[in-house]
Amino acid sequence: MRSISKHLPHYFVLFGTFLAGILAFSLFSYDRIFQMIVAVAVAASYVAWGIVHHAIHRDLYFSVVVEYLAVATLGLTLVFSLILRT
Amino acid sequence: MKFIHRIVHLLIPRESNNQKAKLLHSSSLTLITLAFVLYQLAITFIPRLGARVLGYAANISPTEVISLTNQERTAVGLLPLEENATLSQAAQAKGVDMLNRGYWAHVDPDGTQPWKFFTDFGYKYRYAGENLARDFSNPTSAVEAWMNSPSHKENILSEKYKEIGVAVVEGSLAGVDTTIIVQFFGTKYVDTIPIAPVAKAQEIKPFPTPVPVPAVLVSPFNITRNASLGIAGVLLAVLVIDGVLVSRRRISRIGGRTFAHVAFLGMIIVIVLLLKAGQII
Repeated sequence: MRSISKHLPHYFVLFGTFLAGILAFSLFSYDRIFQMIVAVAVAASYVAWGIVHHAIHRDLYFSVVVEYLAVATLGLTLVFSLILRT
Repeated sequence: MKFIHRIVHLLIPRESNNQKAKLLHSSSLTLITLAFVLYQLAITFIPRLGARVLGYAANISPTEVISLTNQERTAVGLLPLEENATLSQAAQAKGVDMLNRGYWAHVDPDGTQPWKFFTDFGYKYRYAGENLARDFSNPTSAVEAWMNSPSHKENILSEKYKEIGVAVVEGSLAGVDTTIIVQFFGTKYVDTIPIAPVAKAQEIKPFPTPVPVPAVLVSPFNITRNASLGIAGVLLAVLVIDGVLVSRRRISRIGGRTFAHVAFLGMIIVIVLLLKAGQII
């Protein structure tokens, strides 16, 4: 928790990105291509956020990047599988 | 006992998993992703192998679609559209044509425009429009989806149209049982402007009726959504437990921020809940 309060501006950026993603999905529910682009953009932003955040925090390692990539890929797979079935 | 140890190893951070729940390791997450892709491939290809257990069943009445469309029009002060039997027949023919020839588009694979169905049934139009929807379980969600799309909404709320015809056809499209709604809008050509003479009056051909679809057991969208929610939910719970335990035990480890992962998965769950079955074009 101490880490969260210490890096509050970082988390504001992250939450802002996620909220923008949810809003885009909600507003453009009729446009599947746009939704796919939004999903990729949010997942890429999440990985980029992780890299920048850990670089600033001086604990950026290859395994950390792989972890963010693994979480982002899983999230993207879940969302894409549904978009392609809507 | 061994089983319990394995579960604890998967879900709780401890020495055996390097102080991080095994389920949250990158290797486990990659395995879950691959398993989910395989699961998706299975539910995509099972119907093509002839096992008719997946698909969409709907009980949509064309009259209800027309009524909901007119409710949208009257709500903004427009006149309701009159139901036209010829347009409904043309819409039925378009729906059956899509099922029989296996396409899902306004323009057929030969490049024929949907307006051909209007003229085939003797409907001389001044204005014509088409909205298509598939895989909706009820008429309300289909009309809602059209109203959320600017181009479809434009058709529904256009002052140009005076008449409407709707058909609901059920059958197999690319191996998956589906329900298609075809909505035709039109205004007859009754102007005084002389029209080019028609070389030969086209005979209205009876169109084949779609083959009735047997009872559908499972919707591919719903099982995908439930699986997605299950995976994201379990990971979210494990992340929270992991985060709390690591924080309490003051464990220092190399890894991503648990809070960021929780927020990301939370967003994924919200998006999965926002996505609705059904396509419109």
